Amino acid sequence: MKRILSVVLALVMVMAFVLTAHAEAGFTINVAIWDSNQQEGLQKIADKWTETSGVKVKIEVIDWDNYWTLLSAGAQGGEMPDVFWCHSNTVQMYMENDLLLKLNDYIEKDGIDMTQYYDGIVKLYTRSDGNIYALPKDHDTIALLYNKAIFDKYEVAYPTDDWTWEDMYEAAKTISEKSGGDVYGMAMNTSNNQDGWYNLIYCYGGQVITDDHKGTTIGSDASKAGMEMVRKLLTVGAPQSVVAETGTDSLFQSDKVAMITQGSWMINAFYKADHHADYYWACLPYADVNGNGQSDDGERWSCYNGLGWAASARTAHPDECAALIEYFCCEEAQKLQAEYGVTMAGIIGISDEFANAFPGMDVSAFIKAESFNLYFRPYTRNTVAWEDPIQQAGGFLDAWQDPSDPAKMAQACDNAQMIIEEAIAAE
Amino acid sequence: MAKPRKKRTAAAKNEARWAWAFILPTMIGLIVLNYYPAIDTVIQSFYKTGDFGMGNKWVGLANYQKVLGSQETWQSLLNTIKYAIIEVPFGVCIALVLAVFLNRKLKGTSTFRTIFFLPMVCAPAAVAMVWKWLYNQQFGLLNNIFHTQIAWISDPNLAWVSIGIIGVWSVIGYNMVLFISGLQEIPGDYYEAAAIDGATGIKQFFKITVPLLSPTTFFIVQTRLIGALTVFDLMFMVMDKTNVALKKTQSIVYLFYDYAFTKQNKGYGAAIVMVLVVFIMIITFILQKAEKKMVFYN
Repeated sequence: MKRILSVVLALVMVMAFVLTAHAEAGFTINVAIWDSNQQEGLQKIADKWTETSGVKVKIEVIDWDNYWTLLSAGAQGGEMPDVFWCHSNTVQMYMENDLLLKLNDYIEKDGIDMTQYYDGIVKLYTRSDGNIYALPKDHDTIALLYNKAIFDKYEVAYPTDDWTWEDMYEAAKTISEKSGGDVYGMAMNTSNNQDGWYNLIYCYGGQVITDDHKGTTIGSDASKAGMEMVRKLLTVGAPQSVVAETGTDSLFQSDKVAMITQGSWMINAFYKADHHADYYWACLPYADVNGNGQSDDGERWSCYNGLGWAASARTAHPDECAALIEYFCCEEAQKLQAEYGVTMAGIIGISDEFANAFPGMDVSAFIKAESFNLYFRPYTRNTVAWEDPIQQAGGFLDAWQDPSDPAKMAQACDNAQMIIEEAIAAE
Repeated sequence: MAKPRKKRTAAAKNEARWAWAFILPTMIGLIVLNYYPAIDTVIQSFYKTGDFGMGNKWVGLANYQKVLGSQETWQSLLNTIKYAIIEVPFGVCIALVLAVFLNRKLKGTSTFRTIFFLPMVCAPAAVAMVWKWLYNQQFGLLNNIFHTQIAWISDPNLAWVSIGIIGVWSVIGYNMVLFISGLQEIPGDYYEAAAIDGATGIKQFFKITVPLLSPTTFFIVQTRLIGALTVFDLMFMVMDKTNVALKKTQSIVYLFYDYAFTKQNKGYGAAIVMVLVVFIMIITFILQKAEKKMVFYN
């Protein structure tokens, strides 16, 4: 414990030192993010703002796990970065404890139209009393990634935008059988929730977290039907013991897996990979629940999530921070963001340029996903409290271990229902 | 005690002032980094943690009730003990044998000493990452060499052994160096006399080396036991969150980390740590009793 404490302490001290050092310089706004893929593009956008405002912006990348440790330690110690990203997993607690800069006055003064943004993201960053604490930075969607070379080798038809999950199952089954276990048709771990099994639950009519963020229907018949489809896919996919050690992305990139589902935030990793010429994206399959052979309203769902740009409530330069946030979230900057291939925009309908940001790779499936049914990434006040347990033993891991048994998956759905309900009750 | 203080000379006072000046940095360090957090941990274990450590709520013994009533706690404690059972005996025995060999006047002993000590110089996280890949079921070196498909780290019955092996490997060098210094304290005369009396090398080892080395051995066993009971980094680096063997390998400090830092329930985490503290105190007490009987100081 001492070791962890001292590491955390050291990090906090370094952070505090860095922060105070910059505060003394006066005119630099410190921005903290967790994705190094986005640093370059965002810095370019920030520099554009500096040209007019004269205030320097320094963007610092801290990896995901340390980001949250640092931010919560900073919240406790009163030293947070000036401007930073917020995420649905944790933002509720930050908003409720008044740690973020209230943006309502700035929004009103500058006449920002909040309806131009994705509704779910705006709602996420609005407290129950109507205070707005972050502006939508981006949105992400999910698509199906496949390796053309593997499909060619085993003579299986490529995925299309009209695939159902059953079609995906058949293709995965053929590949797994023809390869004799050398290559897996698909792979999905319990931790692939937002980019994986959550989507099947919604396609079949279930909900991981209900619209009021106070309940779940993960144990309902509809959700069970979705997870039953997941179970079928798992019987022809990579075993859990394999994905727990190597990760679906690495397996895919080493030509061991033909198909995975992935989110738009991961495009860069595959775009820069060795065999990227073989990688293609297709729309996420749908569930033909009514059996009429076409994708109807409510049968094809993609999860979406959006980060928010927020500022510390105790920043020394609230006006400048708010101005920077407003710039990051205006149409001009978000179009640039899409153009540079950083992410799709938080504003609806201006992300088309994103499709051209990766020459040689067609990523239009992510933009097409905007016309599906979209559901916001399931969250409650303390998402981590149930998100991890349902992925582990006692949750869905049991069913992942033994996908041949439908009863285990149904049981896992019931267990997940209880885990989530208990976690919400403890909030 | 008031009298002698009055009698102090100016020189003695000066000396005392300097003494304070020299120990103060260490004392401040200890108080700020060790004592304060330790006391705070005890206090926190009686609270339900509010967001960001603000608004903590006094809950009395509720955290302890939950911790002690949770099967997870006992499983983690058992995992930790299982890890210690592998790491300590093997780490000590192998290191002792190596030390005896490397204590002889042979060519290249310093090279071997360096090689065996190297794991100690590597960052534990890096060591764990390398082993994680060696053990990998799909692409790991171990399975490739032996043409096996063994799930070294995701088979619940095997993973704890695999983790223990990493522990032994990392600690051998350190134990060995301590043993070598202990060996050099043993006078050569004993061995000469034994050789004249016709004792074989093995007999010498058990009749001379082992008993005379017992103070060193005791020191190593005690420190390594405490080290093994507080193990965290190996499990943290090697075991993925979705690994089915995680529950059967996670140490009690890992459990603490999960609650205190991932789930942000510091009060509950503090209670877990208190269980470990009590457990280590019991073990240390038993060891101290055993010292009198088993350790041979000449």
